[in-house]
Amino acid sequence: MALFPVISNFQHDFVLLLVPVDTENTMDEVAATAAHHSVGTRVAPQPDKVIRVRRQGAAEFFPRNARLAETDIRPMETLEFIFCDA
Amino acid sequence: MVEIHPGIRENPNATKGNAMALLDRSEWYDIARATNWTPKFVTDAELFPDVMTGAHGVPAEKWEVYDEPYKTSFPEYVSIQREKDAGAYSVKAALQRSRIFEDADPGWRSILKSHYGAIALGEYAAMSAEARMTRFGRAPGMRNMATFGMMDENRHAQLQLFFPHEYCPKDRQFDWAHKAYHSNEWAGIAARHTFDDLFMARSATEIAVMLTFAFETGFTNMQFLGLAADAAETGDYTFSSLISSIQTDESRHAQIGGPALQVMIANGKKAEAQKLVDIAIARAWRIFGVLTGPAMDYNTPLEHRKQSFKEFMQEWIVGQFERALIDLGLDLPWYWEKMINEFDYQHHAYQMGLWFWRPTLWWNPAAGVTPDCRDWLEEKYPGWNDTFGKAWDVIIDNLVKGRPERTAPETLPIVCNMSQLPICAIPGNGWNVKDYPLDYEGRLYHFNSEIDRWVFEQEPTRYRDHMSLVDRFLAGQIQPPDLMGALAYMGLAPGEMGDDAHGYAWVDAYRQMRRAAE
Ligand SMILES: [Fe+2]
Ligand SMILES: [Fe+2]
Repeated sequence: MALFPVISNFQHDFVLLLVPVDTENTMDEVAATAAHHSVGTRVAPQPDKVIRVRRQGAAEFFPRNARLAETDIRPMETLEFIFCDA
Repeated sequence: MVEIHPGIRENPNATKGNAMALLDRSEWYDIARATNWTPKFVTDAELFPDVMTGAHGVPAEKWEVYDEPYKTSFPEYVSIQREKDAGAYSVKAALQRSRIFEDADPGWRSILKSHYGAIALGEYAAMSAEARMTRFGRAPGMRNMATFGMMDENRHAQLQLFFPHEYCPKDRQFDWAHKAYHSNEWAGIAARHTFDDLFMARSATEIAVMLTFAFETGFTNMQFLGLAADAAETGDYTFSSLISSIQTDESRHAQIGGPALQVMIANGKKAEAQKLVDIAIARAWRIFGVLTGPAMDYNTPLEHRKQSFKEFMQEWIVGQFERALIDLGLDLPWYWEKMINEFDYQHHAYQMGLWFWRPTLWWNPAAGVTPDCRDWLEEKYPGWNDTFGKAWDVIIDNLVKGRPERTAPETLPIVCNMSQLPICAIPGNGWNVKDYPLDYEGRLYHFNSEIDRWVFEQEPTRYRDHMSLVDRFLAGQIQPPDLMGALAYMGLAPGEMGDDAHGYAWVDAYRQMRRAAE
């Protein structure tokens, strides 16, 4: 359990955001925290989709149940949050 | 662009019938301002250290060809400045009892507040910069011109502190004309960071190039000519005459840089000169993008807009300034096409940031997105509705449906480690937002674009230790670590923090549209 700040670059939003998450969070939980700041705020919801996480510029997404501490994501690294088919 | 005062060629004394005949200025000026001498007690290098002159080793005699295009004597300067000040103050006095301030659109008052807070104390920074050229300019003509420039900038600071002062009892946000630079408000940090870099922490030659040539010839037209036109349209003749008066000084002392660049280029220092120009334009563009862009395209009431910000940039930067660069023998900055491409979107993104984080401002931003405004935006910026409009749709939906809390900031935007402005770009269906990170000496920096990152890379030791607002937040300097803590850190007292300029009255048009559709 440790506070872990990341940068959210959320698909269809206009700005990078500071998002505090926790090392124990899974990627789905990280995505939910990022979504709280963008979806329904400046990004229209897409209820039939899931939000996947990848490193900025990467082709591959992190596994949805991977915990932050298990990845090589650095604090304050920019992550992309992308609407994907479930 | 340069306004030559009709009386400038005459000695003011010579017009008086009983005055003794005086030489015409052109007959004595060159000798009188030739103030170079051979020092006997110290060496020339001690008197004019390269670190302060920025001469890049170009010796004193090579600077003697420096020929300022605009010449004036001290009596001429004083008499003309007296007339200018009398003009601006008398317009203010004449309109003192008019109701322009009360009757103007609230968006217009917001432009005044943002302008005074961002500019008034920046004039002091420019005054210090001119003072450095007055002492360490390598050419006598440059020192002479800068002496007048220094007095100009002092005049600008006083005018732009005095004019808003009378509004303070009516509206506390006007106090930020003086307060902004002394605070940790984010736009204040951004302005300070830029002006410290371009005006304060530079040598005389660097100032000539970065402040007078790049910033003033290139960009102050944006704020001063652009807003003067909008002010006249709005009926605010006090502001219009004030900033037109300032601009006549700017167009004179902005000419300090051109001949300095000619000397550098003629002595094999083109690459050094080009780099200074490129850095200064990159930084100036960000400041005007956040200040003038939203002012012209969102805060100025629709019916009073003369040109879009993009049209203005194309006329002044692409049309006029580009030619000034080429005429001097410089190249266009390597990022020129990238920057022109940003004219389509960067200031729309800044506007969304300003409005969304409105409690963190010392002015009340106008949303500027009524259905009519959106038609105008779509016409001037085709595709606006499909990009920025998509994000505004969600905001408007929350306001229409009575969820204003969903339009309030809950976290910080990431700010660029160069511009100190939010890293932002196109939302919606044109989504192109991207971080431009840099790992330097173990610290991870974030930039808004390749251009901002390039500026950092030109001299990392100059910039590396600065902490952005986000860096300070993460270091625990902002307590409690929430919005209220951030507002307190920024010095925004209740009654000062920004809110929607029109009190959300513009949302009614959307409520009616929905009702009609149901
Ligand atoms: Fe000025
Ligand atoms: Fe100036």
